[in-house]
Amino acid sequence: MSDDTLEATQVAEPGPVRATGPHTGRYRLVPVVLLVTGIAAVIGSWRLGLGELTNPGPGLWPLVVSIAVTITAAILTVIPDTEAYEKWTRRTTLLAGGVLSLVVFILLFTAIGFVVPAFLLLLLWLRVFGEESWRLALTLAVGGTAVFYVGFAVLLGVPFPDDIVVGTITRLIGM
Amino acid sequence: MDAFNNLGLGFSVAFEPMNLLFVFVGVVIGTAIGVLPGLGPTATIALLLPITYTMDATSAVIMLAGIYYGSMYGGTITSVLLRIPGEAASVVTTFDGYQMTKQGRAGPALGISAIGSFIGGTVAIIGLTFLAPLLAQVAVAVGPASYVAIMVLGLFLVTSLGTGSTMKSLCMAAIGLLLSTVGQDPITGTARFTFGIPSLLGGFDFVAIAMGLFGVGQLLHSLERTEKAQAITTKIKNIWPSRKDFRDSSGAIARGSLLGFVIGVLPGGGGVISSLASYALEKRRAKDPSRFGKGAIEGVAGPETANNASSTSAFIPLLILGIPSNVVLAMLYGALLLQGITPGPSLIEDRPDIFWGVIASMYIGNVMLVILNIPLIGIFIQMLRVRTGILATFALMVVMVGVYSINNNPFDMWVVLIFGVFGWIMIKTGFDPGPLVLAFILGPILERSFRQSMLISDGSFGIFVTDPISATIFGVLAVFLTYSFISRRRRAKAAAAPARAGADAQ
Repeated sequence: MSDDTLEATQVAEPGPVRATGPHTGRYRLVPVVLLVTGIAAVIGSWRLGLGELTNPGPGLWPLVVSIAVTITAAILTVIPDTEAYEKWTRRTTLLAGGVLSLVVFILLFTAIGFVVPAFLLLLLWLRVFGEESWRLALTLAVGGTAVFYVGFAVLLGVPFPDDIVVGTITRLIGM
Repeated sequence: MDAFNNLGLGFSVAFEPMNLLFVFVGVVIGTAIGVLPGLGPTATIALLLPITYTMDATSAVIMLAGIYYGSMYGGTITSVLLRIPGEAASVVTTFDGYQMTKQGRAGPALGISAIGSFIGGTVAIIGLTFLAPLLAQVAVAVGPASYVAIMVLGLFLVTSLGTGSTMKSLCMAAIGLLLSTVGQDPITGTARFTFGIPSLLGGFDFVAIAMGLFGVGQLLHSLERTEKAQAITTKIKNIWPSRKDFRDSSGAIARGSLLGFVIGVLPGGGGVISSLASYALEKRRAKDPSRFGKGAIEGVAGPETANNASSTSAFIPLLILGIPSNVVLAMLYGALLLQGITPGPSLIEDRPDIFWGVIASMYIGNVMLVILNIPLIGIFIQMLRVRTGILATFALMVVMVGVYSINNNPFDMWVVLIFGVFGWIMIKTGFDPGPLVLAFILGPILERSFRQSMLISDGSFGIFVTDPISATIFGVLAVFLTYSFISRRRRAKAAAAPARAGADAQ
């Protein structure tokens, strides 16, 4: 652990020079979350039982690691590193929609199989995020769904959840 | 000669039609993704991991290795033509490569890169062929304390020499180690940090984390950028460099091969560092250093040679010690684990077909790459027309379906999505996901070696000093840390002095 503390004093040194300016708050958000995670992990490891160095318990190694998380996150909280931060733009909010579409995709996929949700997801992403024309987006979405279904379910034999579309088609052919 | 027998075995594996096909597929995909900005080798291998799961182990590694060294060739193309590095190791190539394009010398820049890459790659494979068996004999005797030291050194180098802030990278490495502790304790079987979720008992799936952080994270991020693909207006002619070009760059290529090979073997080595080192070396050696940054052909030839040599020799620690030295190789390590193969000192004995087959396939792959990158380069340039939106959409579907197919469990889709959001936040806030993934892979090996060391030494940390390899590594690390501490303080003082002088003046 002595290595970590060495690290701490070392980097803390130029601190006051760098952590100036009124807008450092937003740079601290992620480090604070990491710091809380680290502290929680330290407590969690302690509860798992540390054992002894000759006979380590399940919590000893996690404790070493979570102390490393805590120390590094604490340093980043005290001296936020403002480098490489990207600006939030209007398109950033669009992304919430992108994530939401994936949530819906996974839920639908589990419920009604691959074909319908895959088509909808491809169409949405091509049309809205890719800004392709309706015509191209529809063509690619239909073609893409077919290629993925044949590739994964038929050729690689991946067992997808029961599919309402494919199920209906096979039943119709079966009759 | 033993090496020739082994290589004979390797070539008999590599020349099997299926494996030839997979080398070809690998290097073509590698070149292609090197050309396409935003989709690096790490993300691509992450996307393809679930597919390799269904393939034969040898073919899978042959293909993935092809993607890795192929991307080193491909990354050059956009660096030279558009000043957009296709992958991190090609950043250096933009310095002089793009200047050469502006002077109408794009052809020779691309030509010398491909030739240098071929020479560097081949020199490194020859080194790998003859050194690997010797090193494997030594590696068997390497004890757990040395393993701990080597891994700590690797993680340290990756975090301090990589792109971005060292403290952020160290923090990410620690998070990666923490994530790897989720699941059952390897010795007592106690559940750690599983929060009562049965799917977490086996730990997080490496593929799901890698695909989330690199795949989904990268894709979400690419959607934010609205810029359309840039059109290539440069006509590429005279791709075969002139006699003078060869004369100017032959020294750089020779030095780059050697330098790259050595750096690649070190833990934490590989592409980026070796290309930077070669550029610095060439600039220092030049009679007229001011030519650098203005289209000096050595500034293209050296780094391109070095990054290929190092990405090849980086297979030495992976295949012989079972320690991936960078993130892309961590992906390959994960692919081998998926196949039920643990790389390590015994791999060369237990699975000579994989070991020598992969090495032999690299000779073939490098020949294929020269052909792809010199006469057929025009085809790859056409790929720059594919729009990001379409590419991202289909890649996303590959991720979602692919991750499901590993365990046929929708739980992994949720893991990918959550880590995708994390990955995107990390990109936005300047945290590098690379050290996290590397640490996640090294975590279990590190814990095992640490516990074994403690058992051997009866709970004394003295073992890290008495073990010669570990003592040397920790010694070097201590010197390095002290040096960087002192130089940082000096720099801080130097920066403070003019500021104070300015304040006094007022």
